[in-house]
Amino acid sequence: MSRRYDSRTTIFSPEGRLYQVEYAMEAIGNAGTAIGILSNDGVVLVGEKKVTSKLLQTSTSTEKMYKIDDHVSCAVAGIMSDANILINTARVQAQRYTYAYQEPMPVEQLVQSLCDTKQGYTQFGGLRPFGVSFLFGGWDKNYGFQLYMSDPSGNYGGWKAAAIGANNQAAQSMLKQDYKDDITREEAVQLALKVLSKTMDSTSLTSDKLELAEVFLSAGKVKYQVLSPESLSKLLVSIGLTQPAAEVT
Amino acid sequence: IFEYNGSALVAMVGKNCFAIASDRRLGVQLQTIATDFQRIYKIHEKIFIGLSGLATDAQTLYQRLVFRHKLYQLREERNMKPETFASLVSAILYEKRFGPYFCQPVIAGLGDDNKPFICTMDSIGAKELAKDFVVAGTASESLYGACEAMFKPDMEAEELFETISQALLSSVDRDCLSGWGGHVYVVTPTEVTERILKGRMD
Repeated sequence: MSRRYDSRTTIFSPEGRLYQVEYAMEAIGNAGTAIGILSNDGVVLVGEKKVTSKLLQTSTSTEKMYKIDDHVSCAVAGIMSDANILINTARVQAQRYTYAYQEPMPVEQLVQSLCDTKQGYTQFGGLRPFGVSFLFGGWDKNYGFQLYMSDPSGNYGGWKAAAIGANNQAAQSMLKQDYKDDITREEAVQLALKVLSKTMDSTSLTSDKLELAEVFLSAGKVKYQVLSPESLSKLLVSIGLTQPAAEVT
Repeated sequence: IFEYNGSALVAMVGKNCFAIASDRRLGVQLQTIATDFQRIYKIHEKIFIGLSGLATDAQTLYQRLVFRHKLYQLREERNMKPETFASLVSAILYEKRFGPYFCQPVIAGLGDDNKPFICTMDSIGAKELAKDFVVAGTASESLYGACEAMFKPDMEAEELFETISQALLSSVDRDCLSGWGGHVYVVTPTEVTERILKGRMD
């Protein structure tokens, strides 16, 4: 199956495909799902945590949600070490822009510059592509709230709702059915959690398997908030996706 | 070059609080071109930095510090301690040892246990930690005298505000390059109060 064309990232196959990039996308298909939904007053990002051992030291840092700048944050799916490098790059790019222009970097420009970095690894240098897909959620004064999805090839697109990681096809088609254009942030949270619960492998949703982050405006400033496990549990109970703790005998 | 724009900065330590004050004049040698120039910047809720000296260097230095501090905050997921921030400023200034920023910063902050911290440094980063007050700017000699006379240890926020304001206003009156009012920030563990002073508008 044209195995000769696999090992170099910088070579096209005879059918015009870049195998390394496609294999990178395969790697992401094994990672925890992340879903992003754009609403009229914010962006909601939900991620499924794959590592849920009790031995894992719980700290305040998150596994899937990261803040890039005050007005942009992202959800990650794929190889975490690759993601860390890219997140750091994105943070520095955002700060450099702010230093030069004294205003926050527009979201699309940030996504574009990060994707340019990713694309570089598919064309020259002989290094493998990054095995990460991102969902960027942010706000800027030109276009308001935006959601972007980017993949290892360096492609990106603006979306109203998107899913990356395991079962993303199923999640994407569910989102297509249920998404409405004038969805509010609360409805978006509920929709994201419902879709995630259907695509996740495990039978029930508990707050330690998920991370939920929202980007919204509060008093004129953009706020990025990761929900604490307690609020997430309460939310799951109110939507009816988990049994309340008291009922379990 | 330090006397091109004119400035006066002072920071004082009180009981679990600190105050930092500056004048508001921006001049080009003898001509005043602004009377609302901001010299004191907030880095985060508990750290303030005042930058005296050449205004353009003060602004650029502040922008560089914002850059470095924001990355620190994103990576370490916490705010910088004042001592760490002072070391950062000192390092950034020393990087330009042979072509320096013509600024003298005054840094004031509350540490983790809400202990007040103040320091100043020269334009190439030599830190001067003090327990009571620090001064900078064209009016610094008058400020030294005024603070030395008026300062008492362990003042509460209100009294500290009065003291620092009096010290600032009386010193800038003796200096032709600084003045046009004052800008005072008093920071306690629970709140930050910002006040504008009306002095001799000359």
